[in-house]
Amino acid sequence: MVEVDARGLSCPLPVMRTKKALDAGPDALVVLVDSGTAKANVTNMLADEGYSVTVTEEPDHSRIEAHRS
Amino acid sequence: MAKHRAIGPSAWIVGAAGLIIGVGAAWLVNQGNPGNMGLCIACFNRDITGAFGGAWANMGGVAYLRPEIIGLLFGGTVAALATREFRPRGGSSVLLRFVLGFIFMVSSLIFLGCTVRAWLRLGGGDLNALYGITGIVVGVSVGAVFLKQGFNLGRAKVMTPVTGWVGTAIMAILLVLALMVALGNSPGFLTTTPAGAKATAEGAVVQGDTVLKPEGATLVDGAVVAEDGTVISPAESVEKAPPMPGGRRAPLLISIVAGLALGVVAQRTRFCSMGGIRDVVLVRRFDLLFAVIGLLVGATIANMAFGQYNLGFTGQPVAHTDALGNFAAMVVAGLSALMLGGCPFRQVIMSGEGDADATVAVLGMFAGALAAHRFVIASTGAGLSDTAWPALAVMLAVLLVIAFVKRERLA
Repeated sequence: MVEVDARGLSCPLPVMRTKKALDAGPDALVVLVDSGTAKANVTNMLADEGYSVTVTEEPDHSRIEAHRS
Repeated sequence: MAKHRAIGPSAWIVGAAGLIIGVGAAWLVNQGNPGNMGLCIACFNRDITGAFGGAWANMGGVAYLRPEIIGLLFGGTVAALATREFRPRGGSSVLLRFVLGFIFMVSSLIFLGCTVRAWLRLGGGDLNALYGITGIVVGVSVGAVFLKQGFNLGRAKVMTPVTGWVGTAIMAILLVLALMVALGNSPGFLTTTPAGAKATAEGAVVQGDTVLKPEGATLVDGAVVAEDGTVISPAESVEKAPPMPGGRRAPLLISIVAGLALGVVAQRTRFCSMGGIRDVVLVRRFDLLFAVIGLLVGATIANMAFGQYNLGFTGQPVAHTDALGNFAAMVVAGLSALMLGGCPFRQVIMSGEGDADATVAVLGMFAGALAAHRFVIASTGAGLSDTAWPALAVMLAVLLVIAFVKRERLA
């Protein structure tokens, strides 16, 4: 599965890197983020691009898993 | 291709946040804050700096520990703690973030407002703001090119709790000082612009019927007259004297509660006054743009309701009419905000969320305010200072160097 590690990155890099990964049209991808803002922005974009999203909270980051719905 | 939405549901949430902040800012003007300056992150951080800089930094007229900033940052902390988003983090190009905060502040003080006040000014009918907003769009668009070429200040890392609490702790200290001032027990090192005071072109300061500066002078038939009988400011000059921004303020309790409420709103909604323009230019997403649209609509409606709306270029509160200066200053401010990863409003909120890098950016703003007034770079209602253009040129050059140096090789 395609994985994007956006932990510690400032806006808008988490969104940019996720968007870049989406350009290949993956059926599923994982994005790791560690701020609430990045989590919200990436989750919103994935939803807007037609993915179903689940978020799992790890000790020091959030794991956003997206599947084409 | 799967379905694609350019405007998602979060647009309405962040738009509502903008609306609330715009209305709140106009209401704070109604409660006593300076015109079209109900909430200005640059101006209010400048006023906080002025309380320490005082006359030495030519900041006697802009000296007040603005409770709105304290409230905003506390609001960020409270909301982040409640939602488990408080995360001590930092270490991403710390010094450069200080420089970017510094440049953001100096350029904002040449425009006379930050990326938030630009919209609030337009919402009050100040058409000079259009040049500033055009500048923000250009600055952000230039920055978007840098981002596409790999500009990156580097990853922030998890920090110790102490580091994460520095921003909130600084505001706690400022709150104690603000309360001491309010209770008439101000420490000697602090300056506070007298409430409702106005400064004449000749440098006299008048508060109601009292002359505060120079010492010993009195008002005679509306003119400021020195002890020896010489006229310092003629009556028409006193009549025309603009109010000192630092002396215009809403009651402390209102300011701090409003700041706290708006801080919570901003933390929850990720309100940003720059990100919307950036996202449109960079990734063709429109959600965040509703933040500034909401801000403009909210401020416009509320200003009209309060009878504070004044459409035009001239006679605007705390503004000048140098179109090119307004434009160029906000090119620099917009670019530096983009390079910081968020507008000054967001830097304050993120500082409250445990982001030490954002705290450093805020400290850079304080330093920038001190320099802008000490070295007379900041504009006045009369226009740009002699050093404004050289300062803008140097700051733009520094931004370009930072953008060039901090490129990352993209795979």
